[in-house]
Amino acid sequence: MSVAAIAFLVIGLGLIGWLSARTRAARFAAAADTAAGAAGRPHSLPFYHGWYVALWATVPALLFLAVWGWTSPALVTGAVLDTPAAALPESGIERGALLAEARALAQGKLAGAFNDEAAALAPAYRAAQARFDGIATVLALILAFAGGAYAFTRVRPDFRARTRVERAVMATLLVASLIAILTTVGIVASLLFESWRFFSMVSPVDFLFGLRWSPQSAVIAGQTNQFGAIPLFWGTIFIGAIIAMVVAIPLGLMSAVYLTQYAGPRLRAWMKPALEMLAGVPTVVYGYFAALTVAPALRDFAAAVGIPGASSESALAAGVVMGIMIIPFVSSMADDSITAVPAAMRDGSLAMGATQSETIRKVLIPAALPGVVGGVLLAVSRAIGETMIVVMAAGLAANLTANPFASVTTVTTQIVQLLTGDQEFDSAKTLAAFALGLVLFVITLLLNIVALRVVKKYREAYE
Amino acid sequence: MNRLGLTDWNGPVMRRRLARRYAAERRFRLLGLGAVLLSAAFLAFLLVSMIGQGATGFLRTEVRVTLDFKAAPLLIDRAALAGRGADLALANAGIPAHLNAAATTAYGGEGAGYLSENSWLDVRDAVRDDPALLDGKASFWVAAATAIDLAAKGHGTAEAKAAYAKLKQAGAVRKTFNAGFLTRSNSNDPTRAGIWGAFKGSLLTMIVTLLLAFPIGVLSAVYLEEYAPRNRMTDLIEVSINNLAAVPSIIFGLLGLAVFLNTWQLPRSAALVGGLTLALMTMPVIVIAARNAIKSVPPSIRDAALGVGASPVQVVFHHVLPLALPGILTGTIIGMARALGETAPLLMIGMRAFIATPPDGFTDPATVLPVQIFLWSDEVSRGFVEKTSAAIVVLLAFLLAMNGLAIYLRNRFERRW
Repeated sequence: MSVAAIAFLVIGLGLIGWLSARTRAARFAAAADTAAGAAGRPHSLPFYHGWYVALWATVPALLFLAVWGWTSPALVTGAVLDTPAAALPESGIERGALLAEARALAQGKLAGAFNDEAAALAPAYRAAQARFDGIATVLALILAFAGGAYAFTRVRPDFRARTRVERAVMATLLVASLIAILTTVGIVASLLFESWRFFSMVSPVDFLFGLRWSPQSAVIAGQTNQFGAIPLFWGTIFIGAIIAMVVAIPLGLMSAVYLTQYAGPRLRAWMKPALEMLAGVPTVVYGYFAALTVAPALRDFAAAVGIPGASSESALAAGVVMGIMIIPFVSSMADDSITAVPAAMRDGSLAMGATQSETIRKVLIPAALPGVVGGVLLAVSRAIGETMIVVMAAGLAANLTANPFASVTTVTTQIVQLLTGDQEFDSAKTLAAFALGLVLFVITLLLNIVALRVVKKYREAYE
Repeated sequence: MNRLGLTDWNGPVMRRRLARRYAAERRFRLLGLGAVLLSAAFLAFLLVSMIGQGATGFLRTEVRVTLDFKAAPLLIDRAALAGRGADLALANAGIPAHLNAAATTAYGGEGAGYLSENSWLDVRDAVRDDPALLDGKASFWVAAATAIDLAAKGHGTAEAKAAYAKLKQAGAVRKTFNAGFLTRSNSNDPTRAGIWGAFKGSLLTMIVTLLLAFPIGVLSAVYLEEYAPRNRMTDLIEVSINNLAAVPSIIFGLLGLAVFLNTWQLPRSAALVGGLTLALMTMPVIVIAARNAIKSVPPSIRDAALGVGASPVQVVFHHVLPLALPGILTGTIIGMARALGETAPLLMIGMRAFIATPPDGFTDPATVLPVQIFLWSDEVSRGFVEKTSAAIVVLLAFLLAMNGLAIYLRNRFERRW
């Protein structure tokens, strides 16, 4: 029996345990009701007794199966290798391929064998698999029965089943919230570990301050000084923090001002969701739009005005489209902080005779500035981590140029580029992607921390 | 200024100054309106250009070819047509040669070029469904070559347009709804490419994501909002969740590559791994939405339940959660819509492979709609442009439907206390 089938069996047993314990508890509850009135009622409802037994019957057995599913393939392979039929070549890749083929044959996924060795191994595999599956079935069933029986003997009127079940619920809640920490730890650990391997091949100083980025030639020539990431950092900042913000800040801020201060309720009710829709469009759609519509138009424009070095993968196309995508982030943060300015400040300014635009420019925006700045920082962190637009519309050439019509490349583009080829996992080229990922992670994290701190400080000032 | 040294508010200087201030006011106001309209215009332009390019992707051009099986019979064993070997038998029966010969007879020297390379598959399918066609003369509508297809839709070379006009005059060409676009999978030939495989991959991925992210997200939100003691551990959990919500999506792809593929040895390109990766990305969104929804349930509900003797767990699961559910569901749908449109992390875990058969399970190689769009956008063949836009239209329709559902749920069920 496969692990999944045993798991279903265990869950079935749990269901039986649930039903029988509930029936038993319901019986003594009814008996207590008729005999002694409210005073002699059992502590917990029958339903809790049912859950108590079901949990004891399933949780230990399922935990065992989870561990088993993890370890048993290695055990099975070990057992197969101990059999006399296993006269395998020493080389790792060939060996692995033969074992995988034998496994597929044994499981019936493969109709015929390619190699005779694998065909010879298949029966041994099948036997070992059957033996280990048998062991798993027996152990899981023993655990389920033992757990269920132990719990069932405790189902008595005075047994506090609800407390126990609630304790299990609380444990589940805690485990669920620990997954967030685990994810963070997983991200940091995997990035740090792979980056450390990268930095044992390439010096961090060369990586962080080098001006030459050409990982392709590095692989061919066996040199390690081709991993200078400054052009990538510049490209990322140029597209995400300069061009995109030149588009997004004025449009986002003015939209927020107009929608909060001037627009009637009907216009606001329509335009706010419309602007938010800009944030809901998938980035791959923006990327396609940038590559197919915006980039050729900008290139033709540049050629018409006579700007040298105009590329069809210009920084401007990617940056402008990214700016459009970012508009709703800026505008919703600005909207929130403008609305949070106390009405007394605005009314005071208007009462002194200032026009509405003077009030906005000289009172509201200065007062809301920390919130707006926080929003812009969040938007920048979002823009530099954005991938699809730059992968599709920005180039691959690592240029250090301030010409917006030329092609630059970004950190995220290069991560995708480095990891989507058929590279072995240990080369400096693939590991460089993790080092870039680490830099990206650290920078976005810092931006977010600063932004949240700015926004929080400002909120406190008015509360 | 007058004699007393007071400002003459009605004097010409002040009037001019006032006029200037009012003009500035009008300019500022127009600037604001312009910003709003420009942003909306970007959205409208984006949508219109996608729909405009994509609309023709749902159509296909077909050319009529008459095959006379009596005069030139297919070399095929009739018995083979009944069973599962029918496709193989027909593939070896030399249909392409028949088709090309018939097209050349009917439409002149370039006739064979009017048909798509894979047009014989249309004949194969028709014959497989109705072997009686082999007994006589039959005419088939088969896929036109990409050049003719583009000409029919108003693009392409002058040559192709002339050929299309000629065919049209002969009544030998028609445009029909391209059902294959919705039912087939990826292909190198734009006339045979469809989104079903990618759609199914998206569906499987989203199932994994929802099954993981929803329970974990809601349970963590309940813990943090209702039970968590104020200590360092809780702070750490909160900081992690808030940071995860802001981590660029590609970083989750790197995590999936390093942990799920390289450490856990899960299968590459599988919906399972894609779902796991997107679940980690979606979970913080759900946690934040669920916490807000739980927070908005007034404390009086909890106090009343506690007052009649409910345990803290009963208070939350019997009273608070049902009341917070509409808000939680709204947040979940919005998070899922974001996951459905996500591309970058899935590229990292190998979901960009060429998948010609739809996945049948969670561990089969699969791709998803946004990745399919990305792959098609890289294709050289001009015929893929409208396919890409058409796939975008399908994706946007789904996202719009999900967001619409979220807004409906919010308006219909969310209570203000």
